[in-house]
Amino acid sequence: MHEEPFRWVEAIANRREYIEDQLAPGSPIVALGFRDGILLFTLSRERQKIFEIYDRIALGGIGHPGDLERLRLTAIELASTEGFARSADDVALRRLANYSLSPALKAAFEQIYGPPFLARLLFAELGRGAAPNLFLRLDYDGSIRTNGGSFARTFEDFGVIAGKQNAITQMESFLRAQKHSGLSLADTLHLAARTWSVGHLALSAEPDAALPDAARAEEHLREQLAHASVEAAVLEKDAPLAATYRALADDEVRAILL
Amino acid sequence: MHTPAALSGNGPTDFPGILRHHGLAPQPPAHTPVTGHHSPVTPTHATTILAFKFADGVLVAGDRRATAGNVIMYDRADKVLEIDRHSLMAIAGVPATAWEMARVLEHSFHFFRRTQLAEMSLEGKVRALSKLLRDNLGLVLQGVGVVVPIFATFDTAAGIPRVYFYDPMGAQFEAADFAATGSGSPAVRAVLHHENTYARKPLRKLKAPEAVLLALRALDTAAESDSATGGVDRRARVFPIVKLITRKGIETLPESKLARLYKANLAD
Repeated sequence: MHEEPFRWVEAIANRREYIEDQLAPGSPIVALGFRDGILLFTLSRERQKIFEIYDRIALGGIGHPGDLERLRLTAIELASTEGFARSADDVALRRLANYSLSPALKAAFEQIYGPPFLARLLFAELGRGAAPNLFLRLDYDGSIRTNGGSFARTFEDFGVIAGKQNAITQMESFLRAQKHSGLSLADTLHLAARTWSVGHLALSAEPDAALPDAARAEEHLREQLAHASVEAAVLEKDAPLAATYRALADDEVRAILL
Repeated sequence: MHTPAALSGNGPTDFPGILRHHGLAPQPPAHTPVTGHHSPVTPTHATTILAFKFADGVLVAGDRRATAGNVIMYDRADKVLEIDRHSLMAIAGVPATAWEMARVLEHSFHFFRRTQLAEMSLEGKVRALSKLLRDNLGLVLQGVGVVVPIFATFDTAAGIPRVYFYDPMGAQFEAADFAATGSGSPAVRAVLHHENTYARKPLRKLKAPEAVLLALRALDTAAESDSATGGVDRRARVFPIVKLITRKGIETLPESKLARLYKANLAD
Protein backbone atom coordinates (compact mmCIF):
# COMPACT_ATOMS: atom_id res chain seq x y z
CA MET A 1 0.00 0.00 0.00
CA HIS A 2 2.93 2.30 0.61
CA GLU A 3 3.79 2.61 -3.05
CA GLU A 4 1.03 5.20 -3.34
CA PRO A 5 2.24 8.68 -2.34
CA PHE A 6 -0.92 9.52 -0.46
CA ARG A 7 -0.67 6.36 1.66
CA TRP A 8 2.93 7.18 2.49
CA VAL A 9 2.00 10.68 3.66
CA GLU A 10 -0.81 9.19 5.70
CA ALA A 11 1.50 6.61 7.24
CA ILE A 12 3.98 9.34 8.20
CA ALA A 13 1.18 11.44 9.70
CA ASN A 14 -0.01 8.47 11.77
CA ARG A 15 3.50 7.83 12.92
CA ARG A 16 3.93 11.47 13.93
CA GLU A 17 0.70 11.36 15.92
CA TYR A 18 1.79 8.15 17.63
CA ILE A 19 5.19 9.57 18.60
CA GLU A 20 3.69 12.87 19.84
CA ASP A 21 1.34 10.82 22.04
CA GLN A 22 4.25 8.86 23.44
CA LEU A 23 6.28 12.00 24.16
CA ALA A 24 3.35 14.00 25.60
CA PRO A 25 3.94 13.28 29.33
CA GLY A 26 7.64 14.27 29.01
CA SER A 27 8.63 16.61 31.84
CA PRO A 28 10.15 19.93 30.67
CA ILE A 29 13.90 20.50 30.53
CA VAL A 30 15.21 24.06 30.78
CA ALA A 31 18.65 25.32 29.72
CA LEU A 32 19.62 28.91 30.54
CA GLY A 33 22.70 30.99 29.87
CA PHE A 34 23.90 32.88 32.96
CA ARG A 35 26.91 34.79 34.25
CA ASP A 36 29.17 31.74 34.74
CA GLY A 37 28.00 29.55 31.85
CA ILE A 38 24.94 27.44 31.17
CA LEU A 39 22.52 25.79 33.60
CA LEU A 40 20.41 22.74 32.68
CA PHE A 41 17.48 21.94 34.95
CA THR A 42 14.60 19.48 35.32
CA LEU A 43 12.71 17.44 37.89
CA SER A 44 12.69 13.70 37.41
CA ARG A 45 10.95 10.73 38.93
CA GLU A 46 12.83 7.70 37.69
CA ARG A 47 15.57 8.27 35.16
CA GLN A 48 18.45 10.61 34.62
CA LYS A 49 17.65 13.09 31.85
CA ILE A 50 20.63 15.46 31.78
CA PHE A 51 23.98 14.22 30.51
CA GLU A 52 27.53 15.26 29.67
CA ILE A 53 28.39 14.80 25.98
CA TYR A 54 31.76 16.50 25.58
CA ASP A 55 33.97 19.22 27.06
CA ARG A 56 31.51 22.02 26.28
CA ILE A 57 28.34 20.14 25.28
CA ALA A 58 25.50 18.85 27.47
CA LEU A 59 22.27 17.03 26.62
CA GLY A 60 18.79 16.89 28.06
CA GLY A 61 16.39 14.34 26.60
CA ILE A 62 12.84 13.08 26.92
CA GLY A 63 11.34 9.97 25.31
CA HIS A 64 11.92 6.25 25.37
CA PRO A 65 14.92 5.30 27.54
CA GLY A 66 16.30 2.86 24.98
CA ASP A 67 16.23 5.42 22.17
CA LEU A 68 17.63 8.19 24.34
CA GLU A 69 20.50 5.95 25.34
CA ARG A 70 21.41 5.12 21.74
CA LEU A 71 21.31 8.77 20.70
CA ARG A 72 23.29 9.86 23.75
CA LEU A 73 26.00 7.24 23.12
CA THR A 74 26.09 8.16 19.44
CA ALA A 75 26.61 11.83 20.27
CA ILE A 76 29.39 11.00 22.75
CA GLU A 77 31.05 8.66 20.27
CA LEU A 78 31.00 11.20 17.44
CA ALA A 79 32.25 14.05 19.62
CA SER A 80 34.99 11.92 21.22
CA THR A 81 36.37 10.55 17.97
CA GLU A 82 36.35 14.02 16.42
CA GLY A 83 38.09 15.44 19.49
CA PHE A 84 40.66 12.66 19.41
CA ALA A 85 41.38 12.68 15.68
CA ARG A 86 41.59 16.47 15.45
CA SER A 87 41.24 18.65 18.51
CA ALA A 88 38.66 19.30 21.22
CA ASP A 89 38.33 22.75 19.60
CA ASP A 90 37.01 21.12 16.42
CA VAL A 91 34.05 19.49 18.17
CA ALA A 92 31.04 21.61 17.21
CA LEU A 93 27.44 20.99 18.23
CA ARG A 94 26.03 22.50 15.06
CA ARG A 95 27.98 20.07 12.90
CA LEU A 96 27.26 17.11 15.19
CA ALA A 97 23.52 17.76 14.88
CA ASN A 98 23.32 18.80 11.23
CA TYR A 99 25.75 16.35 9.77
CA SER A 100 25.28 13.19 11.84
CA LEU A 101 22.30 13.09 14.18
CA SER A 102 19.61 14.80 12.11
CA PRO A 103 20.03 12.55 9.04
CA ALA A 104 19.97 9.42 11.24
CA LEU A 105 16.76 10.55 12.96
CA LYS A 106 15.10 11.51 9.70
CA ALA A 107 15.98 8.21 8.05
CA ALA A 108 14.58 6.19 10.96
CA PHE A 109 11.42 8.33 11.06
CA GLU A 110 10.61 8.01 7.36
CA GLN A 111 11.45 4.34 6.89
CA ILE A 112 7.98 3.23 7.83
CA TYR A 113 8.83 -0.44 8.19
CA GLY A 114 11.50 0.29 10.80
CA PRO A 115 11.19 1.74 14.30
CA PRO A 116 11.55 5.53 14.71
CA PHE A 117 13.38 7.15 17.62
CA LEU A 118 10.95 8.16 20.36
CA ALA A 119 13.02 11.07 21.54
CA ARG A 120 13.22 14.84 21.75
CA LEU A 121 16.65 16.24 22.57
CA LEU A 122 17.92 19.56 23.85
CA PHE A 123 21.64 20.22 23.37
CA ALA A 124 23.51 23.11 24.93
CA GLU A 125 26.99 24.22 23.90
CA LEU A 126 29.03 26.70 25.90
CA GLY A 127 30.33 29.49 23.66
CA ARG A 128 34.12 29.86 23.38
CA GLY A 129 35.49 33.20 24.52
CA ALA A 130 33.04 35.90 23.47
CA ALA A 131 31.06 33.56 21.18
CA PRO A 132 27.40 33.12 22.17
CA ASN A 133 26.01 29.91 23.67
CA LEU A 134 24.20 27.54 21.33
CA PHE A 135 20.96 25.82 22.30
CA LEU A 136 19.69 23.28 19.83
CA ARG A 137 16.48 21.26 19.85
CA LEU A 138 16.54 18.07 17.84
CA ASP A 139 13.30 16.20 17.24
CA TYR A 140 12.42 12.59 16.38
CA ASP A 141 11.98 13.52 12.69
CA GLY A 142 15.43 15.11 12.49
CA SER A 143 14.14 18.70 12.53
CA ILE A 144 16.35 21.23 14.24
CA ARG A 145 15.59 24.49 15.98
CA THR A 146 18.30 26.69 17.45
CA ASN A 147 18.26 29.76 19.65
CA GLY A 148 18.72 32.09 16.69
CA GLY A 149 21.29 34.84 16.56
CA SER A 150 21.52 34.45 12.83
CA PHE A 151 18.93 33.84 10.10
CA ALA A 152 17.03 37.04 10.98
CA ARG A 153 15.90 35.85 14.40
CA THR A 154 16.62 37.52 17.69
CA PHE A 155 19.27 35.68 19.69
CA GLU A 156 17.90 33.96 22.78
CA ASP A 157 20.21 32.74 25.53
CA PHE A 158 18.06 29.73 26.41
CA GLY A 159 16.57 26.51 25.11
CA VAL A 160 13.64 24.40 26.35
CA ILE A 161 11.92 21.12 25.52
CA ALA A 162 8.81 19.39 26.85
CA GLY A 163 6.39 16.64 25.84
CA LYS A 164 3.89 19.03 24.27
CA GLN A 165 4.31 22.01 21.95
CA ASN A 166 2.13 24.33 24.07
CA ALA A 167 4.42 23.72 27.09
CA ILE A 168 7.44 24.68 24.97
CA THR A 169 5.64 27.81 23.70
CA GLN A 170 4.64 28.90 27.21
CA MET A 171 8.14 28.45 28.63
CA GLU A 172 9.62 30.38 25.70
CA SER A 173 7.26 33.30 26.10
CA PHE A 174 7.88 33.27 29.86
CA LEU A 175 11.66 33.37 29.34
CA ARG A 176 11.54 36.07 26.63
CA ALA A 177 10.22 38.45 29.27
CA GLN A 178 13.21 37.77 31.57
CA LYS A 179 16.77 39.07 31.62
CA HIS A 180 19.04 36.30 32.83
CA SER A 181 22.43 36.50 31.10
CA GLY A 182 24.04 38.28 34.06
CA LEU A 183 22.40 36.33 36.91
CA SER A 184 24.23 34.34 39.59
CA LEU A 185 23.84 30.56 39.79
CA ALA A 186 21.35 30.77 42.68
CA ASP A 187 19.11 33.30 40.87
CA THR A 188 19.33 31.28 37.67
CA LEU A 189 18.25 28.13 39.54
CA HIS A 190 15.16 29.98 40.82
CA LEU A 191 14.32 31.19 37.32
CA ALA A 192 14.89 27.74 35.78
CA ALA A 193 12.65 26.13 38.41
CA ARG A 194 9.87 28.69 37.77
CA THR A 195 10.19 28.12 34.02
CA TRP A 196 9.98 24.37 34.57
CA SER A 197 6.86 24.87 36.66
CA VAL A 198 5.23 26.99 33.91
CA GLY A 199 5.99 24.26 31.38
CA HIS A 200 4.82 21.45 33.63
CA LEU A 201 1.51 23.21 34.33
CA ALA A 202 1.00 23.67 30.58
CA LEU A 203 1.28 19.90 30.03
CA SER A 204 -2.05 19.38 31.76
CA ALA A 205 -3.68 22.71 30.72
CA GLU A 206 -5.80 23.53 27.66
CA PRO A 207 -3.61 24.28 24.61
CA ASP A 208 -4.60 27.97 24.56
CA ALA A 209 -4.49 28.65 28.33
CA ALA A 210 -2.86 31.86 29.54
CA LEU A 211 0.50 31.90 31.38
CA PRO A 212 -0.02 30.97 35.07
CA ASP A 213 0.75 33.77 37.54
CA ALA A 214 3.90 33.67 39.68
CA ALA A 215 2.14 32.45 42.83
CA ARG A 216 0.50 29.55 40.99
CA ALA A 217 3.82 28.53 39.40
CA GLU A 218 5.58 28.70 42.76
CA GLU A 219 2.92 26.62 44.48
CA HIS A 220 3.03 23.99 41.75
CA LEU A 221 6.83 23.81 41.96
CA ARG A 222 6.68 23.13 45.71
CA GLU A 223 4.10 20.40 45.24
CA GLN A 224 6.25 18.71 42.61
CA LEU A 225 9.50 19.08 44.57
CA ALA A 226 7.94 17.04 47.36
CA HIS A 227 7.95 13.85 45.31
CA ALA A 228 10.54 14.24 42.57
CA SER A 229 14.28 14.66 42.53
CA VAL A 230 15.99 17.74 41.18
CA GLU A 231 18.38 17.25 38.33
CA ALA A 232 20.69 20.09 37.43
CA ALA A 233 24.09 20.54 35.80
CA VAL A 234 26.24 23.44 34.70
CA LEU A 235 28.72 24.04 31.90
CA GLU A 236 31.17 26.38 33.60
CA LYS A 237 33.11 29.06 31.69
CA ASP A 238 36.03 29.08 34.13
CA ALA A 239 36.27 25.35 34.82
CA PRO A 240 39.81 24.31 35.88
CA LEU A 241 40.14 21.69 33.13
CA ALA A 242 38.92 21.47 29.54
CA ALA A 243 35.83 19.50 30.60
CA THR A 244 33.32 22.12 31.79
CA TYR A 245 30.37 19.90 32.80
CA ARG A 246 29.50 19.60 36.50
CA ALA A 247 26.39 17.92 37.90
CA LEU A 248 24.77 19.67 40.88
CA ALA A 249 23.63 17.45 43.75
CA ASP A 250 19.93 17.30 44.61
CA ASP A 251 20.41 18.60 48.17
CA GLU A 252 22.72 21.39 46.95
CA VAL A 253 19.98 22.66 44.60
CA ARG A 254 17.15 22.07 47.07
CA ALA A 255 18.94 24.18 49.69
CA ILE A 256 18.86 27.10 47.24
CA LEU A 257 15.31 26.59 45.98
CA LEU A 258 13.49 26.03 49.29
CA MET B 1 32.96 8.48 7.76
CA HIS B 2 31.94 5.29 9.55
CA THR B 3 28.47 4.72 10.98
CA PRO B 4 28.69 5.29 14.74
CA ALA B 5 29.03 2.02 16.63
CA ALA B 6 26.40 3.17 19.14
CA LEU B 7 23.71 3.48 16.44
CA SER B 8 23.94 -0.18 15.44
CA GLY B 9 23.59 -1.17 19.09
CA ASN B 10 26.11 -4.02 18.94
CA GLY B 11 29.41 -2.21 18.30
CA PRO B 12 32.32 -1.77 20.69
CA THR B 13 31.67 0.22 23.86
CA ASP B 14 35.22 0.97 25.02
CA PHE B 15 37.15 3.90 23.61
CA PRO B 16 40.07 2.01 22.01
CA GLY B 17 37.47 -0.27 20.39
CA ILE B 18 35.57 2.79 19.12
CA LEU B 19 38.82 4.18 17.66
CA ARG B 20 39.43 0.92 15.82
CA HIS B 21 35.82 0.96 14.58
CA HIS B 22 36.44 4.41 13.07
CA GLY B 23 39.86 3.49 11.73
CA LEU B 24 41.54 5.92 14.13
CA ALA B 25 43.48 3.50 16.34
CA PRO B 26 47.03 4.85 16.58
CA GLN B 27 48.85 1.58 17.19
CA PRO B 28 48.72 -1.70 15.31
CA PRO B 29 47.35 -4.50 17.51
CA ALA B 30 49.87 -6.70 19.30
CA HIS B 31 49.55 -9.61 16.86
CA THR B 32 50.83 -7.62 13.85
CA PRO B 33 53.64 -9.71 12.35
CA VAL B 34 57.00 -8.42 13.37
CA THR B 35 59.27 -7.81 10.41
CA GLY B 36 63.05 -7.91 10.30
CA HIS B 37 65.34 -9.55 12.81
CA HIS B 38 64.36 -9.85 16.44
CA SER B 39 66.86 -7.49 17.93
CA PRO B 40 67.03 -7.56 21.71
CA VAL B 41 65.16 -4.58 23.14
CA THR B 42 67.78 -2.02 23.92
CA PRO B 43 66.73 0.18 26.81
CA THR B 44 67.25 3.46 25.01
CA HIS B 45 64.47 5.30 26.85
CA ALA B 46 66.72 8.27 27.10
CA THR B 47 65.33 10.52 29.76
CA THR B 48 64.67 10.47 33.49
CA ILE B 49 61.32 10.56 35.22
CA LEU B 50 60.53 9.96 38.85
CA ALA B 51 57.65 9.88 41.29
CA PHE B 52 57.61 9.57 45.05
CA LYS B 53 55.10 9.93 47.83
CA PHE B 54 55.49 12.83 50.23
CA ALA B 55 53.46 14.13 53.17
CA ASP B 56 50.52 15.61 51.17
CA GLY B 57 50.40 13.27 48.20
CA VAL B 58 52.69 12.31 45.39
CA LEU B 59 55.31 14.27 43.44
CA VAL B 60 56.00 13.56 39.78
CA ALA B 61 58.94 15.10 37.95
CA GLY B 62 60.75 14.72 34.65
CA ASP B 63 63.75 16.34 33.00
CA ARG B 64 63.26 18.33 29.80
CA ARG B 65 65.72 16.80 27.34
CA ALA B 66 64.68 14.88 24.24
CA THR B 67 67.45 13.08 22.36
CA ALA B 68 67.90 11.13 19.16
CA GLY B 69 71.04 9.03 19.51
CA ASN B 70 73.72 11.40 20.72
CA VAL B 71 71.97 14.49 19.39
CA ILE B 72 70.03 16.74 21.72
CA MET B 73 66.80 17.47 19.85
CA TYR B 74 64.93 19.60 22.31
CA ASP B 75 65.58 20.98 25.76
CA ARG B 76 62.05 21.95 26.76
CA ALA B 77 60.11 18.70 26.40
CA ASP B 78 57.24 18.13 28.81
CA LYS B 79 57.20 14.50 29.89
CA VAL B 80 54.68 14.78 32.72
CA LEU B 81 51.19 14.72 31.25
CA GLU B 82 47.91 15.41 33.02
CA ILE B 83 45.39 12.64 32.42
CA ASP B 84 42.57 13.76 34.70
CA ARG B 85 41.97 15.83 37.84
CA HIS B 86 44.01 13.48 40.02
CA SER B 87 46.22 11.50 37.63
CA LEU B 88 49.54 12.11 35.93
CA MET B 89 51.44 9.99 33.46
CA ALA B 90 55.18 10.53 33.16
CA ILE B 91 56.88 9.09 30.11
CA ALA B 92 60.30 7.74 29.31
CA GLY B 93 60.79 6.40 25.81
CA VAL B 94 59.77 7.29 22.30
CA PRO B 95 57.82 10.56 22.51
CA ALA B 96 55.59 9.94 19.47
CA THR B 97 54.21 6.72 20.94
CA ALA B 98 54.07 8.04 24.48
CA TRP B 99 52.11 11.19 23.66
CA GLU B 100 49.68 9.21 21.55
CA MET B 101 49.19 6.83 24.48
CA ALA B 102 48.54 9.74 26.81
CA ARG B 103 45.91 11.06 24.38
CA VAL B 104 44.19 7.69 24.14
CA LEU B 105 44.26 7.35 27.90
CA GLU B 106 42.87 10.82 28.58
CA HIS B 107 40.06 10.33 26.08
CA SER B 108 39.34 6.82 27.39
CA PHE B 109 38.78 8.08 30.94
CA HIS B 110 36.50 10.91 29.75
CA PHE B 111 34.67 8.54 27.42
CA PHE B 112 34.09 6.04 30.21
CA ARG B 113 32.76 8.72 32.59
CA ARG B 114 30.45 10.19 29.95
CA THR B 115 29.02 6.91 28.69
CA GLN B 116 28.88 4.92 31.94
CA LEU B 117 27.90 7.92 34.11
CA ALA B 118 30.55 7.05 36.69
CA GLU B 119 34.26 7.72 37.14
CA MET B 120 36.47 4.81 36.05
CA SER B 121 37.86 2.91 39.04
CA LEU B 122 41.52 3.32 39.90
CA GLU B 123 42.23 -0.29 38.98
CA GLY B 124 40.46 0.25 35.66
CA LYS B 125 42.67 3.26 34.90
CA VAL B 126 45.87 1.46 35.83
CA ARG B 127 44.92 -1.51 33.65
CA ALA B 128 43.91 0.73 30.73
CA LEU B 129 47.51 1.92 30.48
CA SER B 130 48.75 -1.64 30.83
CA LYS B 131 46.54 -2.67 27.89
CA LEU B 132 47.89 0.17 25.71
CA LEU B 133 51.45 -0.96 26.44
CA ARG B 134 50.62 -4.53 25.48
CA ASP B 135 49.00 -3.36 22.25
CA ASN B 136 52.21 -1.51 21.51
CA LEU B 137 54.36 -4.62 21.79
CA GLY B 138 54.76 -4.92 18.00
CA LEU B 139 56.49 -1.55 17.83
CA VAL B 140 58.60 -2.36 20.86
CA LEU B 141 59.92 -5.52 19.24
CA GLN B 142 60.74 -3.57 16.10
CA GLY B 143 62.81 -1.32 18.32
CA VAL B 144 60.98 1.89 17.47
CA GLY B 145 58.25 2.39 20.04
CA VAL B 146 59.49 1.61 23.54
CA VAL B 147 57.56 3.47 26.24
CA VAL B 148 58.14 2.98 29.96
CA PRO B 149 55.68 5.16 31.86
CA ILE B 150 54.97 5.96 35.48
CA PHE B 151 51.36 6.47 36.46
CA ALA B 152 50.70 8.46 39.62
CA THR B 153 47.34 9.28 41.10
CA PHE B 154 45.59 10.26 44.28
CA ASP B 155 43.18 7.52 45.28
CA THR B 156 40.34 9.73 46.50
CA ALA B 157 38.32 6.73 47.73
CA ALA B 158 41.09 5.48 50.02
CA GLY B 159 42.54 8.94 50.65
CA ILE B 160 46.10 7.89 49.74
CA PRO B 161 48.51 8.57 46.88
CA ARG B 162 49.53 5.73 44.59
CA VAL B 163 52.43 5.24 42.18
CA TYR B 164 52.62 2.56 39.49
CA PHE B 165 55.41 1.80 37.08
CA TYR B 166 55.39 -0.47 34.07
CA ASP B 167 57.68 -2.54 31.93
CA PRO B 168 57.51 -2.13 28.12
CA MET B 169 55.20 -5.16 27.83
CA GLY B 170 52.59 -3.72 30.17
CA ALA B 171 53.27 -5.45 33.48
CA GLN B 172 52.30 -3.04 36.24
CA PHE B 173 53.99 -2.69 39.61
CA GLU B 174 52.81 -0.56 42.49
CA ALA B 175 55.68 1.30 44.12
CA ALA B 176 55.79 1.45 47.91
CA ASP B 177 57.55 4.81 48.13
CA PHE B 178 59.12 5.83 44.84
CA ALA B 179 59.68 4.89 41.22
CA ALA B 180 62.07 6.09 38.51
CA THR B 181 62.52 5.04 34.90
CA GLY B 182 64.60 6.15 31.94
CA SER B 183 68.33 6.21 31.25
CA GLY B 184 69.12 8.35 34.29
CA SER B 185 67.05 6.25 36.66
CA PRO B 186 69.91 4.32 38.35
CA ALA B 187 71.26 7.56 39.78
CA VAL B 188 67.79 8.78 40.78
CA ARG B 189 66.94 5.48 42.44
CA ALA B 190 70.21 5.65 44.38
CA VAL B 191 69.45 9.19 45.57
CA LEU B 192 65.85 8.38 46.52
CA HIS B 193 66.79 5.14 48.25
CA HIS B 194 69.50 6.88 50.20
CA GLU B 195 67.18 9.69 51.28
CA ASN B 196 64.36 7.32 52.15
CA THR B 197 66.56 5.05 54.24
CA TYR B 198 69.36 7.12 55.80
CA ALA B 199 68.23 10.74 55.83
CA ARG B 200 66.64 12.43 58.86
CA LYS B 201 63.15 11.55 57.67
CA PRO B 202 61.74 9.18 55.07
CA LEU B 203 60.28 10.49 51.79
CA ARG B 204 56.69 10.15 52.93
CA LYS B 205 57.25 12.65 55.74
CA LEU B 206 58.73 15.38 53.53
CA LYS B 207 56.82 18.65 53.24
CA ALA B 208 56.07 19.96 49.75
CA PRO B 209 59.06 22.36 49.39
CA GLU B 210 61.47 19.70 50.71
CA ALA B 211 60.07 17.15 48.28
CA VAL B 212 60.39 19.57 45.33
CA LEU B 213 63.98 20.38 46.23
CA LEU B 214 64.83 16.68 46.48
CA ALA B 215 63.32 16.03 43.05
CA LEU B 216 65.46 18.82 41.52
CA ARG B 217 68.60 17.48 43.18
CA ALA B 218 67.90 13.90 42.12
CA LEU B 219 67.37 14.88 38.47
CA ASP B 220 70.45 17.08 38.46
CA THR B 221 72.47 14.21 39.94
CA ALA B 222 71.20 11.93 37.16
CA ALA B 223 72.21 14.52 34.55
CA GLU B 224 75.72 14.54 35.99
CA SER B 225 76.47 11.12 34.52
CA ASP B 226 73.72 10.63 31.90
CA SER B 227 74.03 12.76 28.77
CA ALA B 228 70.42 12.07 27.82
CA THR B 229 69.03 13.69 30.96
CA GLY B 230 68.65 17.45 31.10
CA GLY B 231 68.91 18.18 34.82
CA VAL B 232 68.85 21.80 35.91
CA ASP B 233 70.13 24.36 33.40
CA ARG B 234 70.31 27.54 35.42
CA ARG B 235 71.94 29.63 32.73
CA ALA B 236 69.13 29.01 30.23
CA ARG B 237 66.64 28.89 33.12
CA VAL B 238 65.38 25.45 32.11
CA PHE B 239 64.11 23.50 35.08
CA PRO B 240 62.56 20.05 35.25
CA ILE B 241 58.78 19.76 35.20
CA VAL B 242 57.57 19.18 38.75
CA LYS B 243 53.93 18.48 39.57
CA LEU B 244 52.26 17.60 42.85
CA ILE B 245 49.06 15.56 43.20
CA THR B 246 47.22 16.06 46.46
CA ARG B 247 43.67 15.48 47.60
CA LYS B 248 42.77 18.87 46.05
CA GLY B 249 44.11 18.02 42.60
CA ILE B 250 47.20 18.73 40.53
CA GLU B 251 49.60 21.62 41.13
CA THR B 252 52.32 22.56 38.64
CA LEU B 253 55.32 24.31 40.16
CA PRO B 254 56.17 27.51 38.25
CA GLU B 255 59.75 27.92 37.03
CA SER B 256 60.34 31.01 39.18
CA LYS B 257 59.54 29.03 42.33
CA LEU B 258 61.80 26.16 41.29
CA ALA B 259 64.62 28.61 40.58
CA ARG B 260 64.30 30.28 43.98
CA LEU B 261 64.14 27.00 45.87
CA TYR B 262 67.09 25.53 43.98
CA LYS B 263 69.33 28.56 44.29
CA ALA B 264 68.70 29.04 48.00
CA ASN B 265 69.84 25.50 48.74
CA LEU B 266 73.03 25.18 46.67
CA ALA B 267 76.27 24.30 48.50
CA ASP B 268 78.48 27.32 49.15
